[in-house]
Amino acid sequence: MATEDPMDVDSSTYKPYTLSQTLTGHKRAISAVKFSSNGRLLASSSADKTLRTYGFTNSDSDSNSLTLSPMQLYEGHEQGVSDLAFSSDSRYLVSASDDKTLRLWDVPTGSLVKTLHGHTNYVFCVNFNPQSNIIVSGSFDETVRVWDVKSGKCLKVLPAHSDPVTAVDFNRDGTLIVSSSYDGLCRIWDASTGHCMKTLIDDENPPVSYVKFSPNGKFILVGTLDNNLRLWNYSTGKFLKTYAGHVNSKYCISSSFSITNGKYVVGGSEDKCIYLWGLQSKRVVQKLEGHTDTVVSVSCHPTENMIASGALGNDMTVKIWTQQKD
Amino acid sequence: MTFNASIIDPLQGDFPEVIEEYLEYGCMKCIAFNRRGTLLAAGCNDGSCIIWDFETRGIAKELRDDECSSPITSICWSKCGNRILVSAADKSLSLWDVMSGKKITRLVLQQTPLQARLHPGSSKPSICLTCPLSCTPMIVDLNTGNTTFLKVSVSEQSNGPNLAMRNKCSDGSTSFTPTAACFSKYGNLVYAGNSKGEIVVIDWQDGEVRAMVPISGGSIVKNIVFSRNGQYLLTNSNDRIIRIYENLLPLKDEVGALDDLHENQNELNGVEKLKAVGSKCLTLFREFQDSITKVHWKAPCFSGDGEWVVGGSASKGEHKIYIWDRAGRLVKILEGPTGALIDLAWHPVRPIVVSASLNGVVYIWAKDYTENWSAFAPDFKELEENEEYVEREDEFDLVPQTEKVKCYDVNEDEEIDIVTVEKDTTFSDSDMSHEELCFLPATPSPDVPEQQDKFLESSSNLVDSNNSGSPVSEKAGANGHSMNHASSTVKDDAGGTRMKRKRKPSEKVLELQAEKVKKPSKASKSSKPKSKSLADKSNGNENGLYSDELSDE
Repeated sequence: MATEDPMDVDSSTYKPYTLSQTLTGHKRAISAVKFSSNGRLLASSSADKTLRTYGFTNSDSDSNSLTLSPMQLYEGHEQGVSDLAFSSDSRYLVSASDDKTLRLWDVPTGSLVKTLHGHTNYVFCVNFNPQSNIIVSGSFDETVRVWDVKSGKCLKVLPAHSDPVTAVDFNRDGTLIVSSSYDGLCRIWDASTGHCMKTLIDDENPPVSYVKFSPNGKFILVGTLDNNLRLWNYSTGKFLKTYAGHVNSKYCISSSFSITNGKYVVGGSEDKCIYLWGLQSKRVVQKLEGHTDTVVSVSCHPTENMIASGALGNDMTVKIWTQQKD
Repeated sequence: MTFNASIIDPLQGDFPEVIEEYLEYGCMKCIAFNRRGTLLAAGCNDGSCIIWDFETRGIAKELRDDECSSPITSICWSKCGNRILVSAADKSLSLWDVMSGKKITRLVLQQTPLQARLHPGSSKPSICLTCPLSCTPMIVDLNTGNTTFLKVSVSEQSNGPNLAMRNKCSDGSTSFTPTAACFSKYGNLVYAGNSKGEIVVIDWQDGEVRAMVPISGGSIVKNIVFSRNGQYLLTNSNDRIIRIYENLLPLKDEVGALDDLHENQNELNGVEKLKAVGSKCLTLFREFQDSITKVHWKAPCFSGDGEWVVGGSASKGEHKIYIWDRAGRLVKILEGPTGALIDLAWHPVRPIVVSASLNGVVYIWAKDYTENWSAFAPDFKELEENEEYVEREDEFDLVPQTEKVKCYDVNEDEEIDIVTVEKDTTFSDSDMSHEELCFLPATPSPDVPEQQDKFLESSSNLVDSNNSGSPVSEKAGANGHSMNHASSTVKDDAGGTRMKRKRKPSEKVLELQAEKVKKPSKASKSSKPKSKSLADKSNGNENGLYSDELSDE
């Protein structure tokens, strides 16, 4: 449902996203979906203790659809997996699990390369830095850990929060880390020293379920369990935009920026839909329906107008949404 | 990193104070940062080079040389970071490709080069400047092997034509002591300090000396180096004085400017002319010396931004680092553990100094960080001392009027740009950045099956417990094969981090500390001074001590 919006999208030119594929395979709730930075792979993690990757098979330019087909299954975790991330060269995947470990996988072969031990409770979120020599992870043990990819050693333990850490992200040059937590705070850390640079705090502190840097690293997108998504300028400590209309009060739902065709914010919702808001206008430009449970994760393709989404236990599928080409 | 400037506390200061960590692998002799400070290259006693990933403090690459097993005398990065040039005691120069770890060229010279510098102006330099043991500096063409000696003495030059010797086999002028030389910022000129204590400015392309600046006292010049922005020149002389000169020439068209100056001085000839031109090239800005101990300075250089000057001292086998601000005030003396200082490097961007010790270890000096509590809670205001608190009139009212926070004057309709990246002004010549090698890809080393299930408490000598992973545990022995072991993973440092922060640890932390297992100390290490707890440091100006992390034994 496109709404008229002079600021970022003209309703007559906005092309709605439609469902183009449903990928099954996971046997329990999906926890995260992510595209690789070269856009050739999609990965998903699940409470079924596995990760899966999917690759594009059909990439003719005159074909109307790019279809994904399953590539690899990554088994080894002893408990459900909550998050995953690709290295910048797409050669490795790292996953965060309730078994308190992080695991590094070789993408093409599916083999386990390394296991990172150290967290003392469920590991909930993970990310590579852009150079992919460092991994950052957040856990229910309330710490954020920084790991050396090469040796698997934990380089730093940041006393980040006083409640489970729900998301961690690096900015585009890898100099800052942002972390969010149920304690209601977002904190910015200097990646090289591990020192806390800033804490973002508001009047009320609803649990923060998700945080991510904008592509240029100047802003952070913050999801809170009061059904709000906000865009903050962390230098000034003020938020600049609020995106609402969706439902998010229970789960840590990820959101993303869509910048391949106009600027949007995309997020999952507990009403089983995916919401797209105009970045500037903050208005809902489309609601994608199709999942049969909470959409807990979304990822935008780096170059194509494509969104991947994953949903919880009643659904267990990964869905691919694309804009129709002319 | 300019963007972080907005949230980084400016009061933290800009120079290092304590040893944060040390790197040990083989016996390292000389060190150099790449342009961005993400990688540190170290030349070793056995002819190999180690490239450290400075962010993880792990080994990124090893350049093993079958043809060279003599100690490396100097190591230099190309500007774009894809090449490294090393000179060794077996008279060789080797040029390496960093990414592949393969040697591109090897040349053997007549004399051992004490220092070799790649031309700074190009991305794939084939020209380098070497300072051999006992003859004049020379320009070496790494592609052809051609060596050209540079004339650095002006007294023989009466009417100035080019007398540079192009003969490969000649050993130049007779009994010279080693001459220090360096390229100017873009490599158009070579500045050399000769044994008469004169700075000569040479256009190396035609070998002509274009200017000369005598240093008072005429003492032999041992080191000569530019600041990164090319605006200041440092000389270190045998009279134990470090001198800072301001560079008056324009950075890019130096040769043209020199031509102009020469024309203006047409009435003069020979040495007088060179001196007159020289006075328009450099002016003496400051002199530094330690008037009490009369230290011989080692490896003096500038900080990345040119605001600080650092010089090392190894007199009587000590490992001391002196830091001055550019105005000449001594701001810090860092004292390291036993092992004479042999090389020094300042990080291009951060307030970090790296020093190499005679025992082969490299120390990383950084700021002694004081926790900024306001970063953890924005409405925290740190007090230096107790203050009497006077409550507001309505503070304990049920609905305090003044509680309202200002947040909602935000204009939510303003357009936001989430895509445009601001240019990083720290590195002015970012036109090179598309070719630049800033980091080496990290390949995780596979877990060996039996290591996957257990993790050992690592014995670590690390200071800053934030850096709980130590390269110390990575090595397999002095000159052994490199393997970054996954096995010695983490000591759970959640508690440890609190100790370094200069505040009383919370209850939770004290509990965690009580549970911690004491780490065995490494017997093989050279003795370190026992830690002074950071809290004891009255005024941190004298000593940056190497402190042990938790235990005050």
